[in-house]
Amino acid sequence: MAKVLEGPGMGLMKKWGINVPNYVVVTSVDELTKLGQVNEWLKKSKLVAKAHEALGSRFKLGLVKVDLDFKAAEAATKEMIGRQVGSITVTQVIVSEMIPHKEEYYCAVKSTREGSEILVANCGGIEVESNWERVKRLCLEIGQSPSPESLEKLSKEAGFSGALAKKMADFAGKMFACFDSEDAQYLEVNPVVLRAGDDELVALDAVTLLDGDAKFRHPDWNFAFAAEFGRAYSKQELEVMAVDSKIKGSVKFIEIPGGDTAMLPAGGGASVYYSDAVVARGGKLANYAEYSGDPPDWAVEVLTEKVCSLPGIRNIIVGGAIANFTDVKKTFGGIINGFRKAKSEGKLKNVKIWVRRGGPREKEGLDAMRALKDEGFDINVFDRNTPLTDIVDKALQAK
Amino acid sequence: MSILANKDTRVVIQGGQAGVNAARRMAEFCYLIKRPLNVEAFVYPPDAGKTNEIPYGSGLIAIPVYKSIAEATKNHPTLNTSLVYIGADRAMKGGMEALDDSHIKVVSMITEGVPEKDAKILGAHARKLGKVFNGPSSIGIISAGACRLGVIGGAFDNLVLSKLYREGSFGVITKSGGLSNEIIWICSQFADGITTAIGIGGDAYPGTDYVSYLEMFENDPQTKAVVIVGEMGGDLEERAAEWYGAKKRRVKLIAVVSGFCQESLPKGMKFGHAGAKEGMKGEGSARSKSDALKKSGALVPPTFGALGPAIKETYEDLLESGQVKAPVEPAVLPRLPKTVEEAMKADEVMVAPLIRTTISDDRGDEPCYDGYPASELINKGYEIPHVIGLLWDKRLISKQEAEIIKRIMMLSADHGPCVSGAYATILAACAGIGLSQSVAAGMIMIGPRFGGAVTDAGRFFKYAVDNKMSVDEFLAYMKKNHGPVPGIGHRVKSLRNPDKRVKELVGYVKSLKIKTPCLDFALEVEKVTSVKKDNLILNVDGTMAAVLVDIGFPVDSLNGFFILSRTIGLIGHWVDQKRQDSRLIRLFDYLVNYAAPKRREVPPLK
Repeated sequence: MAKVLEGPGMGLMKKWGINVPNYVVVTSVDELTKLGQVNEWLKKSKLVAKAHEALGSRFKLGLVKVDLDFKAAEAATKEMIGRQVGSITVTQVIVSEMIPHKEEYYCAVKSTREGSEILVANCGGIEVESNWERVKRLCLEIGQSPSPESLEKLSKEAGFSGALAKKMADFAGKMFACFDSEDAQYLEVNPVVLRAGDDELVALDAVTLLDGDAKFRHPDWNFAFAAEFGRAYSKQELEVMAVDSKIKGSVKFIEIPGGDTAMLPAGGGASVYYSDAVVARGGKLANYAEYSGDPPDWAVEVLTEKVCSLPGIRNIIVGGAIANFTDVKKTFGGIINGFRKAKSEGKLKNVKIWVRRGGPREKEGLDAMRALKDEGFDINVFDRNTPLTDIVDKALQAK
Repeated sequence: MSILANKDTRVVIQGGQAGVNAARRMAEFCYLIKRPLNVEAFVYPPDAGKTNEIPYGSGLIAIPVYKSIAEATKNHPTLNTSLVYIGADRAMKGGMEALDDSHIKVVSMITEGVPEKDAKILGAHARKLGKVFNGPSSIGIISAGACRLGVIGGAFDNLVLSKLYREGSFGVITKSGGLSNEIIWICSQFADGITTAIGIGGDAYPGTDYVSYLEMFENDPQTKAVVIVGEMGGDLEERAAEWYGAKKRRVKLIAVVSGFCQESLPKGMKFGHAGAKEGMKGEGSARSKSDALKKSGALVPPTFGALGPAIKETYEDLLESGQVKAPVEPAVLPRLPKTVEEAMKADEVMVAPLIRTTISDDRGDEPCYDGYPASELINKGYEIPHVIGLLWDKRLISKQEAEIIKRIMMLSADHGPCVSGAYATILAACAGIGLSQSVAAGMIMIGPRFGGAVTDAGRFFKYAVDNKMSVDEFLAYMKKNHGPVPGIGHRVKSLRNPDKRVKELVGYVKSLKIKTPCLDFALEVEKVTSVKKDNLILNVDGTMAAVLVDIGFPVDSLNGFFILSRTIGLIGHWVDQKRQDSRLIRLFDYLVNYAAPKRREVPPLK
């Protein structure tokens, strides 16, 4: 699942005929000033300026400014660009026109096992969250498109009537077209507003989640996906992602500040059980990591270096189930190189390493890990006869 | 018994190398259970018409590759299962092709990163046709003692350790490929092992869910209990719980769910498989799944570690109630033949080496020349002549010797376009021939009349010096036994038109004040021969030969100095012609003396 920032999200909606406010995404005040010279609406309309970054609670952070004239929008842009919020520097600001309106509605399309579901409510904004029962649904099987009649029925069920019911049905139809054609996994417009003046429905704020796996058939997806957890990816995370995109198999890395138990397990499934075990034993995760699909040893080495560089760690969990085809000797070779490098850089002082693994060439791999003891590593190595997550119990009891 | 994959399963694999690797693993399993290979065909258009060689025991089985499923099933009408190893962008098309073939009943997709929409379409299409679509991202399906689809089960040793050669009583369904082996292993250690284990894939919407497989296990009398390894996200575990709780079921259900760590992570942070994502209102969390499963009557151990004891408890109940009997293990199991490398590592065989080398070794991280790592030679200031010394004469030559070799190479690197070697290379280059062949064409010219006299010159000068011959004795010996003295005489150079290269080399070597018995002798020979005829001078071959013998190079290596040096020139000539885009060379008639008989009538054939 890949989150898309407002700018490109609005772009996709516009492509499928959904009315969106005029907007521009800028990286400097100069750019906005120049755009103001060629886009009349920037001078004529009331404007909203928002930091265009994957940040939660932007309003509270003062990174959303409303009801601005152009001068004020320029000032707001100047103030926002370059602002440091945690690990993120604001580099982009989206300036869009304010849409005068009275009514707010809700429309979303989400992925379901059978196909998808169109959601419509005749309330919007915060109101819809506290009145979830007012949301009406239309379930669609995969391959099926909603008929105009079924959309109008949905719209009426949600409490729309007359011409507005037809407009909402039309809006929902376009949302579905966008969802289906763009390989979306979730599209939400909240609020949909009725624009004063022409009585057209306009998408005011959008959440767009696309299926990153479908990127190969969307050459016009020329935007970067945003991190999904309310912060930007860190430099270390981006470096691992860059490696991941180049190799057969995969390596994953997410930092969790403040933890003391570092994770370096194998497998997308086992890694979560290891994380669960750490939490269940009262430990604090310093990161999430995972390698799988028989990745090359150098990729595992890069991942290991990142894990060893996490601040304040006391244990490293090199866990893993019995692999199907990942070569234990080879991938452990990468980990061992990473450990050696970290040690030579003065890292891993007072850090205990816990290993458990099985799979092709498990004996050779585990023997190589055991041999690290002779190089002065504080390492404890277990084979398949020790249950999967027992090393976490041992690690957390040891302190 | 088992579900989905059994002794009658006949497999076509769609895909290239990944599919071949899977077939190898499948052949290992077939060998273990003493059954013929269950893979009958591959579908991979780029290789259509070829065969893939799959090792089985100590032999190889050739499996044909077809361009389409239809062609495969036409030639192999017993095919009923397809494994899809095609890249994510083409996987749906491949899956559809398999589903649409009337022979194929089960399609299991191993491909990862398949768009969600494609997976849904495939799943819906299979349901419509009453077939099974398993995956995407499935590690495979294995039925103990019967059939392996994909790499599930891991290496051969693991198949044996996990007792997959015979049936147990536990069904396994997992999203995680990596954990499938773990559960199979646990079932074999804490109970009697598995019937069938299925990897359904870690995507959000797998083609077939737990419930469909639970239903199949319920109808398989051999399966007494089913272990589900779940994950947060989606509602598959809730649906399984609903199924289990709906009425009294014959199979016992044991389940674990991962993702509890999510509760103590920063909001919105998620990881694990693509499908591992929590819904907006907390549905799909590990806790809600776990609670639903508990409520349905399933045995839900609190952690993954507690899964083994839970399986053991279930197994002991089954034993006690007489529903299962303790299994009898076969006395002897086939052992997978080792490769020669593995057997050598285990000190089980001795192989007589085919070749023997005494000069170099590149099995480490860099080549070693006569034991010295190349990078260390570079870093300590050694140069090309030293590498020649190591590889040709197995010794580290001195700085002075290296300088002599360097000068010899510089003096003989090229000799213009007219000499045989360069001319042959140019001729080839102009005919559009490639670099290595054109240089080889020039190289072929090196022989007794061009550049190839160095070794012989060295040999005879050395013979004379070793035997303390006088110049006259030597010339008489040569005349009687061998003919003209190699290294003496030049086509165009003479006493009056001396070869500057010889002068240069002799002058330098003489300035070094080293002992040069061969060179001294050769110069004495020249004094005598050049009086007889003024072009019988010591030529560059002879000079090089004498000097190289004097600094200790073995006679057999001497031609090498000319070959190596002249290669520089030959490459230069080829590049030069290429750069000019030279035209094909054809001799002009006036350059040929046509001495063949005049045109005449051909007599009738007798």
